[in-house]
Amino acid sequence: MTTFDLVGRSGAGPRQDAAWSPRQVLITNLRAIRGRAYPRWRGMFREKSWIFFEILLPFLQTAAYVLVYRSLHAPEAYVGFVVLGGVMSAFWINVIWMMANQLWWEKSQGNLELYFAAPMSFMSILFGMALGGMVMSASRALAILLIATAVFGVTFSVQSWLLVVLVFVATLAALYGVGMVLASLFLVWGREAWHLGQALTEPVYFVSGLNFPVARLGLLGALSVGVIPLATGLDAMRQLVFSGAPFPIGTPAPAIELGILVLMAVLSTGFARWMLAAMEQRARRDGRLTIRWQ
Amino acid sequence: MIESDRPSLDAAQQPASAPSEVASAPAHGSVAPAHVSVAPVHGSVAPVLAPAPGAAVADANDAPLAIEVRDVRRVYKAKGGPVNALAGIDLEVRSGELFGLLGPNGAGKTTLIKILTTLLAPSSGTARVFGFDVEKDLKQIRRIMNMVAGGEQSGYGILHVREQLWMFSQYYGMSGAEGWRRSDALLERVGLADKADRRVSTLSTGERQKMNLARGLMNDPWILFLDEPTLGLDVAAARTLRELMLEWKAAVPGRTVLLTTHYMAEADELCDRIAIVDHGRILAIGTSAELKRRVQRESIFRVELDRLDGGAAALAREPGVVSATPVAAADERTDRQGVAINLVLDDDAALSAVVGALSARGSRILGLEKSEPSLEDVFVELVGRGFGDEDEPDEHRDDGRSGASDDRDEHAE
Amino acid sequence: MTGAGTARGAGAPAGLARSAGGTGVRDSLRAFVTAARIGWRMEANWTDPILFFIYSVAKPVSAAMILVVMLAVVGGPGSAALQPFVVVGTAFWSLVTSGISGLAWSILDDRERYRMLKYIFLSPSSFLVVLLGRGVARLGVGVAGALITIGIGVVFLGVPIDITRVNWPVLLVATVLGLASVVAMALLLAAVCLQTRQESWSYPEAFAGAAFLLSGAVFPLSILPAPLQVVGLVTPLGWWIEAARRALLPGAPSGIGGAGSWLAGVANTTQPDLGWCLIALIVTGAVATLAAALVFRFSVHRAQEKGLLDLTTGS
Repeated sequence: MTTFDLVGRSGAGPRQDAAWSPRQVLITNLRAIRGRAYPRWRGMFREKSWIFFEILLPFLQTAAYVLVYRSLHAPEAYVGFVVLGGVMSAFWINVIWMMANQLWWEKSQGNLELYFAAPMSFMSILFGMALGGMVMSASRALAILLIATAVFGVTFSVQSWLLVVLVFVATLAALYGVGMVLASLFLVWGREAWHLGQALTEPVYFVSGLNFPVARLGLLGALSVGVIPLATGLDAMRQLVFSGAPFPIGTPAPAIELGILVLMAVLSTGFARWMLAAMEQRARRDGRLTIRWQ
Repeated sequence: MIESDRPSLDAAQQPASAPSEVASAPAHGSVAPAHVSVAPVHGSVAPVLAPAPGAAVADANDAPLAIEVRDVRRVYKAKGGPVNALAGIDLEVRSGELFGLLGPNGAGKTTLIKILTTLLAPSSGTARVFGFDVEKDLKQIRRIMNMVAGGEQSGYGILHVREQLWMFSQYYGMSGAEGWRRSDALLERVGLADKADRRVSTLSTGERQKMNLARGLMNDPWILFLDEPTLGLDVAAARTLRELMLEWKAAVPGRTVLLTTHYMAEADELCDRIAIVDHGRILAIGTSAELKRRVQRESIFRVELDRLDGGAAALAREPGVVSATPVAAADERTDRQGVAINLVLDDDAALSAVVGALSARGSRILGLEKSEPSLEDVFVELVGRGFGDEDEPDEHRDDGRSGASDDRDEHAE
Repeated sequence: MTGAGTARGAGAPAGLARSAGGTGVRDSLRAFVTAARIGWRMEANWTDPILFFIYSVAKPVSAAMILVVMLAVVGGPGSAALQPFVVVGTAFWSLVTSGISGLAWSILDDRERYRMLKYIFLSPSSFLVVLLGRGVARLGVGVAGALITIGIGVVFLGVPIDITRVNWPVLLVATVLGLASVVAMALLLAAVCLQTRQESWSYPEAFAGAAFLLSGAVFPLSILPAPLQVVGLVTPLGWWIEAARRALLPGAPSGIGGAGSWLAGVANTTQPDLGWCLIALIVTGAVATLAAALVFRFSVHRAQEKGLLDLTTGS
């Protein structure tokens, strides 16, 4: 028996083998998520410089903002806002740089065409990328939370742990849905989309109220809560974990914001699915799926 | 096993690789010497051997055609004006064939493969893979096919070779255990078992391409698209890759391979049928022998004998012999005692009678070498120029750059 | 500091050797200019100009606005007084971020995407000079961002910059020396990126973010514990921002000094003299440049030994 006998299969025929059941499609997509997360996971343990650059240094940046408030003798709750903002920013960075922008790299390495030539859903690839990077992001978030809490003496008074967890999960789901929408743009925009990713860091931090209650932005803040998952999630989590603050922190109520986040997650994921298909079709039409250095 | 329609060659028809031996098959990687005695007529365009559009080619087993392309065109918008990468391609590839697309850089080979692998949409026309439309049935096609390109640098350098293959196995829905098993088995076969736990970034070009081929075979595709798979590889590595392709195809029944290449010898050696492509059009389709017969209908042999009673003129009177000409004494190959004759026969079948006649005359055959035209000669006859005679320099042919041939989608805005 | 120039062929005519050498001043300048032009075309030419403008404006302005709103949220006279301090500091910091990331990203881009790094290395031109040229384009983008941020600060946020009162000579000298320090920091990060994998694109920004803490850009160093203040004082960035800010805003509070600062305790002054600031900038900048050059040299050597120059990583 040759090797090819071991890996080959007689199969009923090409047309039969091409007809997959919904279960087979689901399993393939789930395994594809695992497959794409694998290189990220492995890479983290093979090259460990990220521990310093992705965890320690971002903490120092968060500390800088904390010290701005300290220098102004701001209420201690604001220190907590900055810490929480630092925590959540880790996931936004994951979305922008580990998911959306990653397609630019994938295309230049020649992986993109192989992904499209394979039968799994492209959303599985994107989700796998995000999941693989999640460990790094979660480590960053946790480090900021623990170290900043210890160093700066942040105290939390949590209204409802269940709600906190739900809001956190819904925020991530919505963020990753937005990330998939952005990723679809890269199929067509290429390098322009990379610059868009660049432009989505500080500006999004600003309109999301990363370091201050987003309500202070007035109408802009209200719009942000309704449109940007980071703003909504941050606002809800602040209200939930600093429920003992002597002044109003955010609006609307966390339960409402949870509903908004769930809606965002559903809409963004659905929209991402449509966008990816549409952008893929357009990219196939324009011949952009396999161009490098676009 | 589906029968190949390549005509079987008996021993008399096998080309010899050296004057002193009668070879039964061309050595791997060797190029049949192209001593074309009949000058091709430049500019003459013989009727294309491809089936007329719309005409159905019956498959012997009633199996669906592996590839069916009908008047496919692909136009790119470019700043200097539209570029016709494909100018109306009609093609049918039967299930189980190893089909070659042979043409120079920029001919449209890669564009066609991208259309068939659902990475590129045709501007017009239809293309099907096992009956699935490349525009409507993408998912189905992707489940049963795979592709490997020459100079491919895909993957992640930080992974080990074995992990890289396993990762791709997941994209085809294999279980984790099955993926590892297949990865190990394929690495063993392609000769990378000792490199399994080394990082992909440490592989040489040839090793990397073997890994890519293993990746391409991971899901046991019904159809494998190979886009210049031996680009940039040395002779040994290229030969190994070709052997692997043939072995896989022989081991797993019913598999189809579409191979693009601009290496004549590769097409000659591997392909059941070949389509010669240039400027987005198919110029001719047929087996290697059929295509060469366009240029040279007779069979030409160089025979070395210890002696020949009656001289070449006597041999010329044998049935099936068109002409028999003694080789000039100045020919450097006649460096030993004996006689060398250039024989032109009606076809290969006449050789056995000639050999019999020579034996009857008491001559001993010291060497027998078939001279036949190359596929480039066929191309020259069809187009009036060689593969290298393009406006752009031909140095890119073997430079091993990543990214296959120059007919990639450089013109899209 | 020399890059990897190639050996000239023995016996070649002198003129030919000179023109093929690539390491003379003229050759270096040509290589630098060529690399800078390529870098600029890659940063600006391939993109939608509107998007590019948004990107080069939105990032630094947003960074400044985050702090402005933080100040407004807290409110009070202290916040109002700090606003010009913060806006100017943030504007200069965009130069730091852009400059540092420019060089480091060039390494990653040229190695992973364009696969050109090895050819640059093999060319007769100085490896360092070409890299510097490639990274300079992003520094240019940072300059534009800084100027726009300051302009917006003056027009919309009431930053009281009076052109007639600006100390232009100090500003010019400080800016030139400061940018040189930024380039030194960038070289350091480039040396790191030469050894790490593709995902290290985020390292320059992380480094810049961390240095934010120790530079006195947006809050006085006096808030930090003394050891951290000392760390901030041995880096050139703090001295640069101090000199440049006080040149732009005479009378502005000191970022590195101030009441209760370690510097005040040692130098017996809360506002170090601008001349001393420039001297300190020269000294710390020289040390940083030397250290960066040594680290870069070591990194290149290690990259050569380990075959990292044409490595593609990525996950």
